[in-house]
Amino acid sequence: MKDIDAKVLSSDVLAEGLIRIILHAPEIACEAKPGQFIHMLVPDNAHVLRRPISLMAMDAAAGTLTLAIQPKGRGTQMICSLKEGDTVKCLGPLGAGFDGKGAQTIYFVGGGVGVAPICGAMDGFATESSCAFFGFRTKNHVYGMTQAPCRVVAVSDDGSIGERALVTKPLLEAIEQKRPDLIMACGPTPMLAAVQKIANDMDIPCQLSLEERMGCGIGACLGCNVKINLPDGTWTYKRVCKDGPVFDSKEVAFGG
Amino acid sequence: MADLSLNLCGVQMKNPIIAASGTFGFGREYDELYDISALGGISVKGLCLGGRMGNPPSRLTETPSGMLNCVGLQNPGIESFIENDLPWLLSKDVAVIANFFGTSIENYCQAAEAFANTGVHMLEMNISCPNVHDGGVAFGVKPESVYEITKAVKAHSRQPLIVKLTPNVSDITENALAAQEAGADAISLINTLTGIAVDVHKRRMILANNTGGLSGPAVRPVALRMVWQCAKKVSIPIIGLGGIETGEDAAAFMLCGAQAVQVGTANFTDPFACPRIARELGEYCDAQKIGNPQEIVGTLKSY
Repeated sequence: MKDIDAKVLSSDVLAEGLIRIILHAPEIACEAKPGQFIHMLVPDNAHVLRRPISLMAMDAAAGTLTLAIQPKGRGTQMICSLKEGDTVKCLGPLGAGFDGKGAQTIYFVGGGVGVAPICGAMDGFATESSCAFFGFRTKNHVYGMTQAPCRVVAVSDDGSIGERALVTKPLLEAIEQKRPDLIMACGPTPMLAAVQKIANDMDIPCQLSLEERMGCGIGACLGCNVKINLPDGTWTYKRVCKDGPVFDSKEVAFGG
Repeated sequence: MADLSLNLCGVQMKNPIIAASGTFGFGREYDELYDISALGGISVKGLCLGGRMGNPPSRLTETPSGMLNCVGLQNPGIESFIENDLPWLLSKDVAVIANFFGTSIENYCQAAEAFANTGVHMLEMNISCPNVHDGGVAFGVKPESVYEITKAVKAHSRQPLIVKLTPNVSDITENALAAQEAGADAISLINTLTGIAVDVHKRRMILANNTGGLSGPAVRPVALRMVWQCAKKVSIPIIGLGGIETGEDAAAFMLCGAQAVQVGTANFTDPFACPRIARELGEYCDAQKIGNPQEIVGTLKSY
C-alpha cells in the first residue's frame, strides 16, 4: 500500500459514458491483484473524500494500471477530465480481491461499469473452459470484449448486442451445460443479488465485488461497512474497503 | 526548528496534533503508512462497554467541502480494546486518548472506570454524537446535564478527563463552563454539525440514518468561532477541531485559544495529513519566529 503521484499516460472514451484512464503507477502496479482498488484524490482540492476506483488491468512489468471510470458525479467528472501528463494522488492497492482458488472453470459475470474489475479477474484467473457473461445497456456501452482471455457472452437491455436479456439468463444456461467451480461477479446490486441467489441455491462457490461510498479506504473509519451473514446465523458489519470489496456470496446480506 | 512539545493536563506530548476519534480507528491502519509515533496523540474510535454494531449503510456521503457520516459509534467494546488493541498502541510513543460513551450516567461512569488500571493517558468523554439516540448527545445539550454527567464521571476517572462538546446547541460557551465547573480537565470542540443529504433522483435521504454529522473544511469557520468564544470563558485547556487540513489551520485554532488540535476528515483526503500538519505547524512557527506554538495560544488579535 503506497500513496503516490501517478502519472496519466492516456485518457480516452472506452464506451458510452465510460472513460478509460491508464496510469503510470509502478509502486502500486507491482503489488496489485485482481479485484483490488485504488483510492484516488479528486484533482481539484475541493473534494474531501477520495474515490475508490477498481482496477480493470494491471501490468507490473510496465508499471501501469488501467481504470474504467463513469463520470457520474462532480468528483468522477473531475477525475475523467485528467489529461495525458497530469498527475493524480492514488493510494493503493487496497482491499481483498478475487481469489481463483485453483478453480478450473470460472464463470465471470459483469454488468456495466462492473465489467472493469471482472476484466482484471479474467486476466488473472481465466482458463480455457472459463466463460464470461457481460450485461450492457446497449451496443454503445460495450467494452472489455476484444482482448478477453476466454469466451465472452454479451447481452444488452435493448438487444442491440447479444440477446435482450439479463446477464443471468446466459449464465444459467451455461451452468446447465457445465457447472463451474467458481463464479466471480461485479455489477449493479440487483445483478449481484440475482447471481448470489443462483450460486447459493446451486451451492456453487461465488465471489461478489461490492461497491460503497468510502471514507479512509484503509479500514479505519467504518464508513463503508455492509451487513455480512455469519455461519452461526447471526450477522455483523464488515468493511468493504479492507475486508472486501470481494466477499463470498454466502456472506453478503443484500438489502441492509 | 520550533519545539512543538506541550504538556496537556500533565501528559507530555511531542506535538499538539491529535488524530480525531472515529477517523483513525485504533491507529493500526495508518501505522501501515507511517509510524504513528509521529503524532502527539491519538483519540481512539469511540468506545463503550460491550461494544456496538453501529448504524446500517449508507453511512457517509460527501458534501461541499465536507462530508456527512452516521457510522453510529460502531466499536468492539472497551473490554476488547483493552485486551486486543491497547497493548500495541501503548508500545507506540504517542499519547493514547480513550474516547468513550455510555447509555446512562451510571454506564458512562462504569466506562470511565474500565480504563482505571490501563496505560491510557487521557479520557475523552463523548456527550455529543449526533448519530445515535443513546450515544450521549442527550447529556451534551443542556448545561445542567453537561454539569451532572461530567461531575459524576470525573469522580470515576483515574486519567485526565476531556469533555467533547457538540456545536448543535444555542450557546456552546455555557456547556464549556458547565464542564469546567464540574471538574473537567479539558474540553474538545467541535463534534460534528447535524445535517442531511438528499438524493433528488430517488427522492429520498442518502444516509440510512437520515441525519448525519457534518465535518471537514466546511465546518472550520464555525469551529474556530466556537473555540474562540469558549477560550474567553474557560481557563481549562481547549482541544480544537473542525476541518483542519494544514499546519496553518492548526495555528488558527491555537491563535483562537486551543492548546492542541485534532485532525479528522483530513485523514481521508490525505492519509498522511497528521504528520504533514505537524511538520507544517513547525514550518509556520519557524517562519513566524515562534519557539513553541504554545506561545501563540489565545493571542489572536480581534477588532
